Amino acid sequence: MKTILPLLMLAALPAAASPQDNIHFIRQHQQGTNVVWDMPVPTTGQAPSALALESGGSLFQLWSIAASPARDYLLDQKLVGAYMPKAEIKVVTLDPDGKIPRTRVDQPFRVEIQVSDLLTGTEFPLAASSVLLERHVASYSREQTVLDPVAVISSTPMSSGYLTANGQHVMAFQASGLTASDPTKACGEEHFVIHALPDGNIAQSQIASAMVQVWPVASGEIKGITTGDNIRFQLPQVELLLNDLYPRSDTYLLLFEGTQTTGTEGTIIKAFPMDRETSASHVLRVSELESKLTDDGTYTLVLVSETVFGREMLCDPVTFNIRRTIQVNAMQVVGASEQAPSEEFIYEEASGESLTSDESL
Amino acid sequence: MKAILILSALAGHALAAQPLVARIKPAELARLQQADPMIRLQSPAEGEAKVGRPAGQSIINQSTVLHDGTRWTIIPDGAVLFVPEQMKARVGAEPSGQLLGWTEFLTANRGWLTTCEVSFDQATGKESLPAERCGFWAKQDKIVVAVHQRGPISFRGNKTPNTPQP
Repeated sequence: MKTILPLLMLAALPAAASPQDNIHFIRQHQQGTNVVWDMPVPTTGQAPSALALESGGSLFQLWSIAASPARDYLLDQKLVGAYMPKAEIKVVTLDPDGKIPRTRVDQPFRVEIQVSDLLTGTEFPLAASSVLLERHVASYSREQTVLDPVAVISSTPMSSGYLTANGQHVMAFQASGLTASDPTKACGEEHFVIHALPDGNIAQSQIASAMVQVWPVASGEIKGITTGDNIRFQLPQVELLLNDLYPRSDTYLLLFEGTQTTGTEGTIIKAFPMDRETSASHVLRVSELESKLTDDGTYTLVLVSETVFGREMLCDPVTFNIRRTIQVNAMQVVGASEQAPSEEFIYEEASGESLTSDESL
Repeated sequence: MKAILILSALAGHALAAQPLVARIKPAELARLQQADPMIRLQSPAEGEAKVGRPAGQSIINQSTVLHDGTRWTIIPDGAVLFVPEQMKARVGAEPSGQLLGWTEFLTANRGWLTTCEVSFDQATGKESLPAERCGFWAKQDKIVVAVHQRGPISFRGNKTPNTPQP
C-alpha cells in the first residue's frame, strides 16, 4: 500500500527560522525495516510516497534546515500505517487570511477532526479503538513570533482525551487557552496533536497535527489631549499609541461632533491600514486634526481598529471642547469735559464666561 | 477627484456597516477561557497513554553529510555505497557553507558523485545487488549513493568492504 502525502505546503509552514534559503527535506522512516528514504520534494504540491507502508507504520517527517549555522527544525511529522487508525485535523478560525491559521486570543475557533479505521466495540484494546487528542499551548516571549513546534508538542499537554469513534469530531473553543497577567495580551500558539496508541514500543505515535497562531487584542492611547480639555488656542500635539494591532487591520482616528459616537458617522482624521503576518505596534503623530476643528463646540475622538472580528475601540473616547470665539464688547465714553475718550473692552467667551479688561486706551 | 470621493464614501460606508464596540475586558475573556470542550473527552489515566514525542531529534545528526568544499547536503545514514580512497574527506564532513538539496548537490557534483538505483528489497537487504554492478563502482573513482526513485535511501544490504558503515 502506498500513500499520497497531503499537501506539502512548505512555503506556508511556520519555519522556526524562516529565511528564504532554508532547504526542506521529507524523510520517511520505515518502522518495521528501519529503512530511511529522503523524498525529492518541490516547494509546494503533493507527491506519492515511493515506499510501501509497513505493518509497523511509516513515519513521515518534514524538516527545514538552515545552512549558516547548520540547524534543523522538525516542522511536522505523521505516522501512517496500513493497520493503524487514521486522522485528519484542521483548525478553523474566523480569519480566512494568513499563510497559517490565525486568530485573536478572545475569538472563538474550531478544531475539526476526521477519524477513521478505529475498531469499535468493548472487546478491543484501547490501541485499536481510540486515538488520543492533545492540546498544547505555548506563549511567545517578547518580540517572538514563531515557536519550534517540536518543543511545543514535546511538552506536557494542557489537556488531552480519547476519541473513540470514527467520523467527524468538532471541538468548539470560545477563546484561546493562552494566559497572561492581562489575558487580552496573551499571544502564542496552540497545537493540536492526534496520537495513535499502537501496541508495543514505538518511537513515534503522532498521526496528525494542526496549529493556530494566536495574537493579542489591540489596545491604544490618544496622547496629548484628555477628556474635559478646553482648547482655546492651538491644539496640542496629538499622538496615537497603537499596541498589538492585528496582522490584518485598519485603524482609524475618528472625530465626532458632540459626545455621541453611535448613530452617526465620524470623520476619519487618520488611517493606518496594516496587512502582514504578525501583530505590530506603532506610534503615529496626528497633524490633520487642526484643520477639522473650525467651529467651536464639543468633539469626541475615538480610536478604532477594524478587523475581521469587528470594529472595536482601542481605548476610551476623548471628549473635549473648542472655545476659540472671542466676543468683543466695546463702549466709548465721552466725558463732559471733552477729555480724551475712555474705552472699556470686555473680552467675553461665547459661553458667557467673561475675561474683562478695563485698561484705558 | 471623483475616484477619491467614491473611495471616501465607500470607506465611510464600510465603517458604518459594523457596530462600534468596546474592547473586551480581561475578566470577560477569562470567563470565556473557562469553557474548554476538551473536558467532555475521557482523559487518559496516569501512564495509560504511551505516546512518542519528537523531542531531541536532529535530521543532521541522523544523516551523512556530503561536502564539495563550499557546499553540502545530507543523505540518510547508510546511503553511501562506495567511497574511493581519495574522496573520503567529502563524506562525513562538517556541515558548513552553502546547503543544497540532494538533487541540486548531485547535479553540481556529477564529476565525483553518482547514484545506484536500488529496489526497496535491496535496501532492506532481502535481495542482493548484482555483483557486476558493485564491481563497477571501483572503476569510476566516484562516491556512489543508493537512491530509490531519485531519493537517497539507507541501504541495509551487503556493501563493498571500503564503504563506511553508519
